[in-house]
Amino acid sequence: MANRRCFQTLARCLRSIRTLTPISECLAPYTAPALSQTLPNYIFLNKFKVYQVPARSFCSRHSESEDDDYESGEEEDYGENEEDIADLSAEEKVKEATEIGYTVLGPLQKSDRVFKLYEPVFAVVQIGSHQFKVSNGDTIYTERLKHCDINDKLVLNKVLMLGSQAQTIIGRPVLPEAAVHAVVEEHALDAKVIIFKKKRRKNYRRTKGHRQELTKLRITDIQGIEKPENTMPLPPQTKEKEKAEKKVAMEA
Amino acid sequence: MNKKEVFKLAKGFRGRAKNCIRIARERVEKALQYSYRDRRNKKRDMRSLWIQRINAGTRQHGVNYGNFMHGLMKENIQLNRKVLSEISMHEPYSFKALVDVSHSAFPGNKAAAAPKKEGLAVLL
Repeated sequence: MANRRCFQTLARCLRSIRTLTPISECLAPYTAPALSQTLPNYIFLNKFKVYQVPARSFCSRHSESEDDDYESGEEEDYGENEEDIADLSAEEKVKEATEIGYTVLGPLQKSDRVFKLYEPVFAVVQIGSHQFKVSNGDTIYTERLKHCDINDKLVLNKVLMLGSQAQTIIGRPVLPEAAVHAVVEEHALDAKVIIFKKKRRKNYRRTKGHRQELTKLRITDIQGIEKPENTMPLPPQTKEKEKAEKKVAMEA
Repeated sequence: MNKKEVFKLAKGFRGRAKNCIRIARERVEKALQYSYRDRRNKKRDMRSLWIQRINAGTRQHGVNYGNFMHGLMKENIQLNRKVLSEISMHEPYSFKALVDVSHSAFPGNKAAAAPKKEGLAVLL
């Protein structure tokens, strides 16, 4: 995980100011149609072509007697690749997405008011193989999520733990009734890392650049735990009293 | 890489290594090799740091790291070390809850007691 993913959550004091301007209104007009439609298609077409051309040229060069065997072999392997790369059916997409740990709800409408003030509640959510401790208004960088566009609402269902000022709920391993809502902010590339390999005195030197594909998510809501109803920032004395009354709820 | 790229990567190097191409090229190549190696080392170092932090947090409650993790595994709690270290730093009450859960699942081989702090009053 390189530079972008080390960027931690925004300062709490800035969040209340920044999140009040809905990001969807800034991004929706010119990014959604331009990027989301052209970019994934471009990637799909590119990959499709890369796998398609060598297979056909390879088959065509061989003699006729060997053609049948090679063609059947190539088609079998080639068919698996085709399923991986080409558009999956809608059900398969949903199934893949839920395995990784998220569900796409749909695009964000202008009328949705999803960006709230900060609440002192945290959740530990798992996406793919990475776990994040998130709170309302955080941004996290994850591996590129394939089946969602910018300004899509997501529900992250793999929630491992919830915590607030008065309660802690620990899942074994997952909490089935908890949900974390997020909005896709951007599909971006990480900073470039240079992969440099050298064997000394052997005249071997290789240079390669790599940019990892990331998705930036903004967490909007955490459901499944009782939230404190005070909207005012609590003075230190009241906080200690509330924490003294804390109970630990354990779910089997 | 051409000279311009080498000098860009050689910013901040000591002495002639940032100015003279022959020396800069060697140093830059070494730096890139180190960064390749250290991208792999960083993962190990971070995990080690998380474990140290979790250890410190659990020992404040009288449980050591090994027994704590064993108790979590028994309870099928799949929180990873990164998140556990963050919770131990920023959410002390939730971390205490986790320690209690782990302790009830696996109390440990020896009778675990909270560390006693003896002041100078003992000597008097």
